[in-house]
Amino acid sequence: MNLEKVIFGFFTILACTLNFAFFIGDMDRPDMHHPSELFAAIIVNLITLVIKFGDRTQLGATHLATSLVATLHLLAASMVWLWTVYFQQEVMGPGAMSAIVSMSGGALLANLVSIALLIGETLRQGR
Amino acid sequence: MNDVLYIILRRLRIPLITLIVVYAISVGGLAVMPGTDPHGNPWQLGFFHAFYVMSYTATTIGFGELPYPFSDAQRAWLILSIYLSVIGWTYALGSIFAMTTDPTFRSTVARSIFRWRARGLTDPFFIICGCGQSGAALARALDRMGYRVVLLDPREDRAARIAVGEFIMPPVVLVADARNPEVLADAGIQKTECRGVIALAGPDSANQTISIGAKVLRTDMLVIARVKGSVEYGNLSAFGGVHIINPFKVLATNIALDIAAPEVLRLEEWLSGAPGSPCPSRVNVPKGPWVLVGYGRFGESITEVLDEARVEWQAIDPSGAVAREARVLAADNSESALRAGGITRAAVLVAGTDNDTVNLGVTTLARRLNPDIFVVIRQNDAADRVLIDAAHANMRFVQSDLIARECLQILKTPLLGDFIHQVRGGGSTQASRAIELIMSTVGNASPRNWEFRCDTLQPGMFGAFFQTYEEPLQIRHLLVDPTDRDRSLIAAALFLVRRGQKLMLPPPDTELKPGDRILFIGRDHARARQMRFLLEPGVFHYVRTGAQTPLGWLFRNLEKLRAAKEGQAASGTATRVPTADGHGADTGRTAR
Repeated sequence: MNLEKVIFGFFTILACTLNFAFFIGDMDRPDMHHPSELFAAIIVNLITLVIKFGDRTQLGATHLATSLVATLHLLAASMVWLWTVYFQQEVMGPGAMSAIVSMSGGALLANLVSIALLIGETLRQGR
Repeated sequence: MNDVLYIILRRLRIPLITLIVVYAISVGGLAVMPGTDPHGNPWQLGFFHAFYVMSYTATTIGFGELPYPFSDAQRAWLILSIYLSVIGWTYALGSIFAMTTDPTFRSTVARSIFRWRARGLTDPFFIICGCGQSGAALARALDRMGYRVVLLDPREDRAARIAVGEFIMPPVVLVADARNPEVLADAGIQKTECRGVIALAGPDSANQTISIGAKVLRTDMLVIARVKGSVEYGNLSAFGGVHIINPFKVLATNIALDIAAPEVLRLEEWLSGAPGSPCPSRVNVPKGPWVLVGYGRFGESITEVLDEARVEWQAIDPSGAVAREARVLAADNSESALRAGGITRAAVLVAGTDNDTVNLGVTTLARRLNPDIFVVIRQNDAADRVLIDAAHANMRFVQSDLIARECLQILKTPLLGDFIHQVRGGGSTQASRAIELIMSTVGNASPRNWEFRCDTLQPGMFGAFFQTYEEPLQIRHLLVDPTDRDRSLIAAALFLVRRGQKLMLPPPDTELKPGDRILFIGRDHARARQMRFLLEPGVFHYVRTGAQTPLGWLFRNLEKLRAAKEGQAASGTATRVPTADGHGADTGRTAR
């Protein structure tokens, strides 16, 4: 067992699952998407991004790219939240909420690609 | 992406993750800690405000409790956060500073800066591997000739010494082993501006590896290697295409020349010397027995030559191991040893040990025993120049100077190599004639030499060969100042090559043929002026007739019209109007 592989797999999958936890639920209902879930998803995605730094292989570069995409998506989602709640001083409504959730949906797709890469790599080495 | 960025990212992974975790804990906790607003309602800070508070707290800016005074629970969490974040930042900054002083990181940064600088070279340059004394001397000479130099050396102290040396254009230096072909590639060997690779590293095997690597990377590359051992010499000769220099052999050849034909040696040294060096004076080694102190590779190469010239010699060497040769005396450098070696009746002393102080001491001692002795001294370290100067030796062997001179001879002009080869075969009278010619042209300073090629594809040469004049094109035309035909250039022709036929010291009335290559010596500005013959149409016409040819289309046609009119008026007298491109209206004479 390789500890580095465990940590790598753990964070890659945790980034995806936390993101999914925020994403799941009706798109336009603010009470189904808690800000803490988004916060946790952003933090774990950032950690995943840093873990993927410095791998010079082609696969490592693709891994890094998917993490970059996911992190940017989630940051964009939090920007929308910031804009609506703090800058506009509005109560979170269905329009803004669906924009935030669809952003996190994009990040989820990137996280899924990352997991697909992870599985593919594992299968190839396992044989 | 480049290596430096990768190293930074890789090294900073743990510190960055630490920071992220620290921020996540403190921001997340602060956001949900219960508090009250000024109206007494329950209130939480929220992620945005929590991140704001943590940003100014963790960086020790400290704006205070915003937007409302904190509750005790919020303050308690903030205490924890402050200590966590201070530790987190200290660790992260410490890692960054540690990384910048890390040798691996620094060498990677140095390598990428070097690669970037080598890639940016736009002037012709040479790669010198090994910047010991020979490498440094050669680098300085090339620098004075207007070439850029890329220096590679595995030793940091040597590379650092080059960085503070006197150069017109600073050389690009890298501390790296040039035996690695990647290093050569980084040094720009594949660039068209790269004119040659010179391997002057310490061990012969390194030079062999470097030359082969360079030849493999670029087969047409000019490669020069310094090799002293016979095994590597054989290997490289078999590989082919590499110029090999053995400093001891070169010195031996020079001594042989000095015994047989001193003028040849003098001319050779003068022509291949660094620009501006004076004409070496006559050496005139006296006839008589030689005494050599020190019998290593240096002494051996000299004695080989002496044997060939049938000169009597006796060597003294403190180590008994070399005493297999009967004429080598195993003794120290004491007075009695010198006497036993026959110093009192010897004509020449060679102080050739690998220790400069010993060489100086032996010289002093020998002079006391035999005041008229001719001294050949070996200088090992360039820094000992003053010490060796004090010996006032008649002849001095400095390996670095010798190597630099040999390399320059190969690099300067290929035609010069042919010329010197020819002179070696020609003997002393021819050499002294050449020296006289150079002296009367440029005086005592070392002349520039260059090649003039009668290339009919050049704009200036076409008309010169394919129009008819009363007299054929001769060398003396090339020695006229193209801006003022009453003046002549400070230059002289030394050598002419025409389809394998070689002509030494061609007289000025030698007729030129297309394809001729001529070796000229002279002043630098004469060379620049002479290049106009190649590049500008009409210059030859001016030099031959004194008439300026109109260069532009309009004036060329006007001239044609005028000539046609004159031609009509004179009805058939011979008039010619050669034009710049050579398609002149030849009325009256037939074109060749």
